[in-house]
Amino acid sequence: MALMQISEPGQTPEPHQRKLAVGIDLGTTNSLVASVRNAHADTLADLGGEHLLPSAVYYAETGETLVGAAALAGASADPSNTLMSVKRFMGRSFADCTAASGAKMLPYELLDQGQDMVKIRTRAGDISPVQVSAEILRSLAARAEETLGGELTGAVITVPAYFDDAQRQATKDAAKIAGIHVLRLLNEPTAAAVAYGLDQQDEMAIAVFDLGGGTFDISVLQLTKGVFEVLSTGGDSALGGDDFDHAIADWFVAATGLENLDMFQQRSLLTAARQAKEALSDAETVNVVLGDLSQSLSREQFNSLVDPLIDTAIRACKRALRDAKLRSEDIVNVVMVGGSTRVPRVRERVAQWFGREPLVDLDPDRVVALGAALQADQLVGNRSGDEMLLLDVIPLSLGIETMGGLTEKVIHRNTTIPVAMAQEFTTFKDGQTAMAIHVVQGERELVEDCRSLARFELQGIPPMVAGAARIKVKFQVDADGLLQVFATEESTGVESHIAVKPAYGLNDTDIADMLKSSWEAAADDKDARALREQQIEADSLLQALSAALLQDGEAMLSEAEQQDLLAKMETLHHEREQGTVASIAKHIEIVGKASELFAERRMDASINQALAGRRVDEL
Amino acid sequence: MSVFNPQENYFALLAVPQAYELDISALTSSYRALQRDAHPDRFASGSERDLRMAVQQSSFINEAYETLVSPTRRAAYLLKLAGVNSDMSSTTFQDPEFLMQQMQLREELSELQDAKDPEQALDVFYRDLDQAAKSQKEAFSQSYNQQQFDLALAAYAKLQFLEKLRSEAELKESELLDY
Repeated sequence: MALMQISEPGQTPEPHQRKLAVGIDLGTTNSLVASVRNAHADTLADLGGEHLLPSAVYYAETGETLVGAAALAGASADPSNTLMSVKRFMGRSFADCTAASGAKMLPYELLDQGQDMVKIRTRAGDISPVQVSAEILRSLAARAEETLGGELTGAVITVPAYFDDAQRQATKDAAKIAGIHVLRLLNEPTAAAVAYGLDQQDEMAIAVFDLGGGTFDISVLQLTKGVFEVLSTGGDSALGGDDFDHAIADWFVAATGLENLDMFQQRSLLTAARQAKEALSDAETVNVVLGDLSQSLSREQFNSLVDPLIDTAIRACKRALRDAKLRSEDIVNVVMVGGSTRVPRVRERVAQWFGREPLVDLDPDRVVALGAALQADQLVGNRSGDEMLLLDVIPLSLGIETMGGLTEKVIHRNTTIPVAMAQEFTTFKDGQTAMAIHVVQGERELVEDCRSLARFELQGIPPMVAGAARIKVKFQVDADGLLQVFATEESTGVESHIAVKPAYGLNDTDIADMLKSSWEAAADDKDARALREQQIEADSLLQALSAALLQDGEAMLSEAEQQDLLAKMETLHHEREQGTVASIAKHIEIVGKASELFAERRMDASINQALAGRRVDEL
Repeated sequence: MSVFNPQENYFALLAVPQAYELDISALTSSYRALQRDAHPDRFASGSERDLRMAVQQSSFINEAYETLVSPTRRAAYLLKLAGVNSDMSSTTFQDPEFLMQQMQLREELSELQDAKDPEQALDVFYRDLDQAAKSQKEAFSQSYNQQQFDLALAAYAKLQFLEKLRSEAELKESELLDY
């Protein structure tokens, strides 16, 4: 039969030529690895039969590094050397992490690295979250190679749709450290939809509601004959089941009047809280026990503790649907992902809001890894004839800083990637030869309210008058959502290029907040923009006048006239610093009036100059 | 992989007739067909160079599609192809009827929050906007087909105003409904 097999090279390899590829769900609480065998995706178990690998790394006294359940065993005894939930710190600075909710009860010590990514103090040294993630990835890759019996060609690693450039880059860096070739960073919700085989359907809109341990994502997807288009994404990268645990822990602390818990007690309390949460999925009442303290918690009480958290998630759903230009009744399927969707209250509220029962058939903990495995299998060419194509969008707008600290958006959020966009800018001053380019990510109008991604300088602009240079800045975002920036001066071709290595200046909550407050604060932004615009106008007027005075002031104005003008300029300068939109505008007008005479004389002088030596009939 | 000419006309690339009236489903299916071949995922285990080219081509296809699928951007693109400068900064309106309509819509928008049922009032407002946009789209299409680019430009400018109004309404919606 071998002679009958006709296939394009690399498209349908014979079984023994199949490339080994896996899907990895690198989660906040648990991680998984899955692969496709005999056309069926399944998660891979460790030697003990466990599929879930707790996302925990323990740096033991013996110098050993333990990963997973073995690491967790040390958690209660040696919390400060047991690192958990580090996904929250990927691509984040110290300031970001301490501001994020949930970080307040951390049982290990975070080290301030300024603008750089935070590190964690352990007995094995100061460890970066990227290194911790690399340990987890290495452990999963080793499990896969043992189970599948060969070397991995590559892996699809999932990330929350909400992850920004810094977080995606950090994830890719972790894979690099673990020696894994990344085929694609895939958004978790997209992977979940793939796992449900929804790509086999003809045409429909679906929502993926993903409430994991540490992040919440809502994505709206359009499926059309195997093409997945992410129409919009939203969520809150600091909302998850951990917050449910913290809510129970806070309630317990308040109810018992406990004070000054040490790291050991905190860890035990959070464990008790998590157990209570899980037990309440079946039981109506549970006892939360810490040492000899015990409190009874009913499901109803628990529901009211978590309802505000679920409200936050529902609000994000509304926003995502609006961004997708759909209504809740347009959604044909709601896919539930993440262990926290086991909480009955979550299912109840989701069913209520979407008006339909969500899909819960696949294990919500495994569904993302399964989808990633299917995608990995296709990317290495094992799935022939299968036309699945995943088109993703960028979660946050990209822009650059313009005069006066304003953001000019170059790529709007929810634009399909890969994408390249170019925008032209010009010089502000005569003879300006360099231009600083500041790339930011976020929705707000002021640069200071967005995340700073990178700064670089375009040098060697030929001296020209202000406004004559044409600087074209091109943003290129690849299919993983990672950014590169190119800048070119159009008339001379001077070029500058960077792959954005982000400055880690924004925390998890900031992203969610930034999206939220961009709506709320639009009015503030408008005022702020008006103020900046007046300030810029004042600046250009003052600059132009100063230059003119320097050149012609002595020759064309009397001493008194000069003094008068300078005094008015001084007042304008003062107002520019401290005044309101109206007061700056008023003084711009005053200075403008006061300089009219001067302007007229300069005009006359230049006309005289131009006319000098010409006869009237030449004109 | 086929090689694109980055100067290529978006309509030609996406295999649809160059006109304002557009069969969106034909546009979308040829867009998807192009992306199936050009998307970087097709080159996940290919060379760096192939991958880089795929990113560029796929970006170009996305840009072409998003330009044509949006009624406003499509209008601007058609004007550009006709050599008409569609930069609006210097355009002023000489159309009292449209100005009146604008004022009415603005008033409707500002009174939304006082409505008994703001959500329903919003729906009505969006419907009014859609209605107004529809007639401008028809005006654009007709003028453009008759090569009356001044009239087409005016219709485009009005479309832009209506779009701006829509984004203001969306902002208002998020304030009102606490998204």
